[in-house]
Amino acid sequence: MKSFLAALAFAAIAAFCVSSVLDTIQQASSVAYTTSGARVGDPGNNLIGSN
Amino acid sequence: MPSSLSNLRALCAAIALLFTFAHPAAAQLSFKPTAEAVQEDKLLNALKEGDKITGRISIPDSMASSLIQPAGRDWRDFHRSKLPIIGGVAILGMFLLLAIFLMVRGRIRVDHGFSGTKLLRFASFERFTHWLTASCFIVLALSGLNISFGRVLILPLFGAQAFATMSGYAKIAHDYLAFPFMLGLVIMFLIWIKDNIPGKIDWQWIKQGGGILSNGKHPPARRFNAGQKGIFWIVIIGGALMSLSGWFLLFPYLPANVTALQFWTVIHAVIAMLFIAAMLAHIYIGSVGMEGAFDAMGTGEVDLNWAKEHHSLWVEEEQAKGRAASGSDTHAVPAE
Repeated sequence: MKSFLAALAFAAIAAFCVSSVLDTIQQASSVAYTTSGARVGDPGNNLIGSN
Repeated sequence: MPSSLSNLRALCAAIALLFTFAHPAAAQLSFKPTAEAVQEDKLLNALKEGDKITGRISIPDSMASSLIQPAGRDWRDFHRSKLPIIGGVAILGMFLLLAIFLMVRGRIRVDHGFSGTKLLRFASFERFTHWLTASCFIVLALSGLNISFGRVLILPLFGAQAFATMSGYAKIAHDYLAFPFMLGLVIMFLIWIKDNIPGKIDWQWIKQGGGILSNGKHPPARRFNAGQKGIFWIVIIGGALMSLSGWFLLFPYLPANVTALQFWTVIHAVIAMLFIAAMLAHIYIGSVGMEGAFDAMGTGEVDLNWAKEHHSLWVEEEQAKGRAASGSDTHAVPAE
């Protein structure tokens, strides 16, 4: 039982840590694909928005 | 006067020319129809051959250069018609098969009854690794099936709002639990590869149907029998394919183009259906299907009689190492 519960806890914690790491290194497409030559404007509240 | 008139004419011609080039439609009127038709023909041929029409792109997202990709229709057709059939046959078929097996064969009992003597089969770290991978697999499987079939099967039951909320959380769980799942796979491979190399004894085990088809038959096996080795390799290879295809779906800017992305989606979906079907059989035999089997992953200790019947060679090895009782008195212990 202990091993099972430890595994569940570890999986949840690992998933949370991964989400935190990916949130810091990944960018929204409106930020990632904007260059000096091409401006991808603020998408606002649409599906690809920063929220 | 004539020079000013010619100057005026020249000025008007220049202004007219300026408007011609400034207005795209007007500019195209200057192209010869024959030349235009040759280019259109090339475009139509490209569409017919299943190739895609692309343009020039100046933004970093190279996939945005794709204008028309006819293969997308084949992918959509696969996703909507062929994949549900594959999934239905594999998963529902396995449920049916297991139900029939349980009805016909019944639960596989320990022939000589439980001895009451236990021996350690899986250490706590092994059980931790198994449950890490298994619990992630359950959530990944259910959330993945929701992506494929949820709209048709679940939405009518819960309604649009509840389904959307549930699916949103399921998607997040699916994306992030993939990582501990992959970690579990790697650890599992490292700790159990040495006991899962196929051998001659496995062929003998398979020829006798593993002894599960009839009572009283117990072909010898080491720590893992051929069925378990099969499950191990299905998990490792299937899991690796799911991990690789899933990685490309998590980071969709990695594949070269949208066709590659569609390919990985197909791999992910098909392998998932087969993987789930195989795991249903594993879950069955480890719980309902065989008396005494669950203890191996539950407490880590199994009954000596159970072990002698299903993994006789492993018991001998453990006894030689002094890790298991010799079990001179291994008949059923009456309840008190």
